[in-house]
This record gives sequence, C-alpha cells and structure tokens, in this order.
Amino acid sequence: MYQYSEQDHQLLLERVEQFRGQVQRRLKGQLSEDEFKQQRLRNGLYLQLHAYMLRVAIPYGLLSAEQMRTLAHIARKYDKGYGHFSTRQNIQYNWPKLEDVPDILDDLAAVEMHAIQTSGNCIRNTTSDPLAGVARDEHEDPRPYCELIRQWSTFHPEFNFLPRKFKIAVTGAIGDRAAVAVHDIGLKLVEGPDGNNGFEVYVGGGLGRTPMIGKLIREYLPKEDMLTYLEAILRVYNQLGRRDNLYKARIKILVHETGEEKFRELVEAEWQKIKSTGLHLREQDIQRIKDFFNDPDYENLADTDTEFENMLLSDPEFARWADKNTELHKQSGYRIVYLSLKSANQPPGDVTADQMDAIADLADKYSLGHIRTTHRQNLVLSDVKLKDLVALWGELKALDLATPNYNHLTDIISCPGLDYCALATARSIPISQAITERFDSYDFVNDLGDLSINISGCINACGHHHVANIGILGVNKKGEEVYQLTLGGSAREDASIGKIIGPAFDADQIVDAIGDVLSVYLENREDPEETFLTAYHRLGQAPFKEKLYG
Amino acid sequence: MGNYIKDRMPDTDGWMPFSGLEDSDALPAGDIYVPLEEWLQNREALLTRNNRLGVLLKNTDDPAQLVPDLERLDLVVLEFPKMADGRAFTQARLLRERYGFKGDIRATGDVLHDQLFYMQRCGINAFELREGENVEASLKAFDEMTVTYQPATDEEFPIWRRDGK
Amino acid sequence: MALQVYTASLLKEGLVAYLCLEEGAASWTSDIREATAGDGDALTTLKITAEKAEQNNLVIAPYAVDVLETDSGWKASTKREQIRAEGPTVSLPRDASTVSITAAGRQAA
Repeated sequence: MYQYSEQDHQLLLERVEQFRGQVQRRLKGQLSEDEFKQQRLRNGLYLQLHAYMLRVAIPYGLLSAEQMRTLAHIARKYDKGYGHFSTRQNIQYNWPKLEDVPDILDDLAAVEMHAIQTSGNCIRNTTSDPLAGVARDEHEDPRPYCELIRQWSTFHPEFNFLPRKFKIAVTGAIGDRAAVAVHDIGLKLVEGPDGNNGFEVYVGGGLGRTPMIGKLIREYLPKEDMLTYLEAILRVYNQLGRRDNLYKARIKILVHETGEEKFRELVEAEWQKIKSTGLHLREQDIQRIKDFFNDPDYENLADTDTEFENMLLSDPEFARWADKNTELHKQSGYRIVYLSLKSANQPPGDVTADQMDAIADLADKYSLGHIRTTHRQNLVLSDVKLKDLVALWGELKALDLATPNYNHLTDIISCPGLDYCALATARSIPISQAITERFDSYDFVNDLGDLSINISGCINACGHHHVANIGILGVNKKGEEVYQLTLGGSAREDASIGKIIGPAFDADQIVDAIGDVLSVYLENREDPEETFLTAYHRLGQAPFKEKLYG
Repeated sequence: MGNYIKDRMPDTDGWMPFSGLEDSDALPAGDIYVPLEEWLQNREALLTRNNRLGVLLKNTDDPAQLVPDLERLDLVVLEFPKMADGRAFTQARLLRERYGFKGDIRATGDVLHDQLFYMQRCGINAFELREGENVEASLKAFDEMTVTYQPATDEEFPIWRRDGK
Repeated sequence: MALQVYTASLLKEGLVAYLCLEEGAASWTSDIREATAGDGDALTTLKITAEKAEQNNLVIAPYAVDVLETDSGWKASTKREQIRAEGPTVSLPRDASTVSITAAGRQAA
C-alpha cells in the first residue's frame, strides 16, 4: 500500500487548515454560501435532504485496518454510528455538522485519508479493480498507476474548474470489475507488442441522463505516456467541453458531438506537444510506486485443507458461503473473500461503526491488514488463507456480513435515493429491501446464477441502473413514485446499456414485475448454465414484454 | 479598478481597457489593452505606440493567435466570467509554457481568494479581485499550500522528479 | 390559495428547520407541524424573515413548501418534503451502543 511521504502529509495538513479557514469565514458570514459552496464541494461536503453529507475518498478502493478504524471512529464521534460505501469505492457520512468537518478532516489526515475532490467539477477519485494484485486473470496490478493518477490530479491547478465532474477508472485484468466502460476515461492494461504492458484508452463513457459506452481512442498507449496523454485529454476537455448546459457538459457529450475520430485527432495533436515534458514517466518513476505494491510474503501452502473440505461436506450453510462469497486466488492456499453488505437488515452498502471496527480486526487477523471496497458496494478481504476460511466465516456470520449472494440477485446496488438525496425523485432503498425480502430463498437465488440488479432513485443514475442486467429507475409521476425497468445492461467487459422494457410500475407492482422477468428467464433459458444476460440477448425483449404487459 | 494585486503585492492598476478603435480618431494616451479582435485588425497602428500594449482574450479565444506579437505585448488579460468557468487556466498555461510569454498575465471577472493559488501556478501574476474580496486576506492565498504534486508554470516536473532526482 | 411554510437548512448542523413567526418573533423548529403557514402578504412576511435569517448566516437556501392541514398540524404535500420533514423512511443502521442524537428543537432566529 502506498505510504505517505512527509510532503503528502504536509499537503493534507495545509488543505485542512485552508478549509478550516474557509469554514470559519463562512460561519462568520465573510463568505457567502455561493462562494463557499465551491470550496466545500471540493472538500467532499454536500448539502443533502436532511443534513450535510461528507464523502471521504478511498483511493482505488484500498484501505488499511487502521484507516477502517478511523472511519468507525468518525461514524461514532461525529455522525450517527454508520457509513455508506458508494458506487465509486468511497464512503459517505450522512449527518456531519459543518463546524465539525475540519476536525473530521484532521482525524482523517492522521491516517492518510481525506475528502479532497470527491465532489465538484474536478477530477474525482480514481477507481479500480477490487481484486487488484490478487486476481488470477490479471496482466498487471493497476494500483500503482492509480496512485500516479491520484497525485497528478490532486489540486491540479489547470483542471480544477472543468465543465463537469471527471471520473477515471483503471483495470489490469481480462475481466472488468471496475465498470471502466462507463467512465469519462477508462484505462485497461493490456499486453503490448513489445512484451511490455500498455493501456487501451477509452474516453466518453458515462451514465446519467445520456448513458454511453466509452470509445476506444487509443488502442495502445505505452505506460510512460500515461500522464501526458491524460493531460492532453483533460486540456481538450477543459477548453472545448460545453459550459452552456449542465446536462451536456460531460466529456461523453464532447466526444459524441465532435465525433470520435476528430476528438482523437485533437487529443493526439495536443499530446504531440507535451509528450516529452515533465509528466513523461521514466521507468524509475513507475517502479518507485510499484515498490509499494509488491506481493506480500505469501506462505508456501497447499491448495487443500482438511477442515475446509470437511466443512464443505458437512455444513451446507458454509458450503453456500464458500461457493458464492469466496474466489480463487493467484497464490496457492489462499482465497479472496467477499464481505456482503447486502443482508436484509441494512440498506445496501451501509456499515455500522462496530462492524467497521470488527472488519478492521478481521483484516488484521486474516488478511494482512487490508480491505478493499467495490463499486457494487461490498468489501473484499483479499489474502485469506484457505485454512482460515471456516474460522473467518464464523466471525463474518456473527457480524451479518456473510449473506451468500455475491454477484447474485440480492447483491443489489442501490443509491441512497429519496430517503437521503436532495436530487432524488423516488426512493430506492425500500425497493431493494422489498426485493431482498421477496426473494429470500437461497435455492432460488442460487439457481438464477450470475445476475445484477441496480436501483437509481433519479435520472442521475448514481445506482448505475443502466449497466445492470435488471435496472430500476425511480421517477416521479404526478407526485407518485413509479419505477421504470431496463433489461440487458452490463458493467463488465461485455459492457452494454440496458433498454427500457415498457411503461413504469407502481411501487407495489415493481417486485412482482421483477418476479415476472425472472420467471421468463427461468422458463426460457437453454440450460441452467445460460446466464440471465446471455438469455436476454438471445431472446430479445418480446417474451419479457409479453409477460409484463400481456 | 477595484482590488488589484500584482506580483503578490497590492498595486494600483495603471492600465486602461479600450475598445471601439474603429470609431475613434485618436487613441487615448497611456497603457491600453484592447480586445483580441481589435488587436488583430489594428496591429500596425497599435504597434507604433510608445506605450505598453495589452490584449484582452475571451476565454474562448485561442491564445496561439498572439504568438507573432508576444514579444511586443506587455499584458494579456484573461477572463473568468464565472468562478466555475476554468477555461482561462488553460489559456494562461499555454501562454507561459508553450508560447513563452514573459509579460503580465491578468485575471479579471469572478476572481476570488480561493482560486488565486491555482491561477498563480498557471502563470497568472496580476489579479483584479472581485468586488468585496479582501486584498489582505487574498495575499495570503499565495502561500497557503507549500506542496504541489504536478508540473505547472512554476515547476517543470511532478513531485517525484524534483530536487534533481 | 395553497398555504405554505418556509423551510431551510441550518448552516452549522445542516439539519432541516421550519420557520415559526409568532407576534413578530421568529424561531426555527425541526417540527413542520409547528411551523407558521401563510399565503399572500403573510407568506411574503415569512419569506422576508427567512431571507434575513439567511443573511444572518443562521440558515441556508430557504424556500416555501406547500402544506396541508391535519389534526396534529401541518403536513407537507409532496413525498419529497414529507421525507424531508420526517426523516428517512428506512431505519438507520444502529450498533447496540449508539447514543441517539437529540432533535434540534426550537432555536431562536
């Protein structure tokens, strides 16, 4: 994990002091709300439906146990005892007081954390694969590149007042577990012609009102050119992105309106002028950061364990959890463990302070002291020994973090929705709870196989409904909350935008509608191995429409 | 005009904005700056003046158009029509880093204390603060952050390549 | 002739508050049922009072909310404003040890 240098610390402390000054000026009335708003957004502080909301950055989704304990402390001391993990691997607190925020930022700074640029029209948190460094399908660990991007983008003087927010994701594996295709810039490490790795560069992906899949504007970018190329893209965007209409200001609109080819030319022309300047990455610049992400000293372990195997046979509950919530690891004798934050008992992605402390302890005890967050609002313990799985499972069960549903029906993404969010048009959390309650049979969920449901409480699509197999969008129709259904989306390497299936459903009909969709799948799939998404693409909308609308 | 800072000190603004060259018979005396369009149309006449010369760019203008004249210009004025509109940050950097402009670059418009540090890093050295901004407090903005990560007009290299590394 | 109340967010706490105006004395409450509703000139007075509280840096972004009368007092007419008045419709995650935070109560303007 990256360790802060003295200068990194200094930067954070100065930023906190600066914000403390801004808060004081605001409270004294020396700054108007309009003026202060730009500053508070750039420190991650929103004003939401009920209170302020603070979004703390978790760079590329990686946390140390110590950092997790601080997150627990903040929840306890300054908030209502819980936090919410977001679809960009960050954490959100829903009830901080403005006058406490500088102190919260101080507490975060002490453990190398911050809320810098988690809001506002600037470059946001760079997200990544939660299985970085341990996945078996990985070409190369993307996290060192994320760290370089983090430093390049933090307080970038030229790009802090962009036309709109800017989101970058980086992966380094065959599978895409970071929704790279729907980011403003997506970088995928691939094997290059010269035996080295380089990047595929995608630009102009995004969700919201106008969902689009990113365009491949550079098939192969050598690593050394990563930052100069990003700088070129951002400069073109800063100059030419629309400023007249908030809803047309993302880079995806610029790429769309300019044309992919012309946009590529503009970027390449700018890049030619800067490719040899200071941001060009030398071998040693990359290696220096890579050295923070070396493999831990794995033990030499067999990939079998008697206790584990016995439990699989004797305890069906354990077997279900092992099947759904654990993953093979690149290292023999180790497993990746998913912590499901999708029990029926809490909103998706919500974690209490006690749970956070317990997770920190589990990370120390079983997983080399690290935790990862995922864009599907779950957590990962990445380096668990096979022989510890039984014990870990026992502890996770006691914490309600062992619901065996990873990447299955009830592993639902839900934005906070109208219960929390000032932008929302409908509630989303109650819908996710209703779905979880209705389909509580493990056998049913298991039989459905790999399946994603995402719920957004408004057209801004923070719940990523466009890229779910089954997407739900809550809208307001004449004062009532109604729900539109989209089918066939995917956020993975087979990325696609879901299509609306027909007229919206009332709140008391939507769960039945989901049931109908699922039964069409079950009735028409070729065999149990054919996933929902594959079946949908094969069948088309017709049988679903027929069942839903008769 | 208003609160004016130059080179990190309070200063009085000795320049006069001027436009409407077509309609006037005689140009005013003193240091004037004109909009880009008028500069391009009246360069010859303006270049014969003995005073300092400046050009005002809209934030949609391409600063490359000034390249042939940068040696002769003493001032380029950039606009921040709203605080949120950051196009002039790019214009300033290009003027300094790509085109090597050595004169003054001034920010006008919605110029607040809180952006001064970024503006300075991008090569802007003169600031017409927005009405109501406090000059004393604003001067502190330049020193609020001592650590920077990325290159700009004040640093050729990112933090990991400085100090002769 | 819909009646409206004025609402805003408290600057320091960020919490939701509603304006009460009784005999010229203004205060902010977290309970919409106790807010002062009005229309026409009375509403204008509320607006001016709310904006003054904003200028005095007590509240942020005041605006008017349509209300309906009920037995126990005012109720917001839209879902959004109902949720804003009553809090999230889902239970907040709680640890056994969590101390509940007291409501804002009445605060002098």
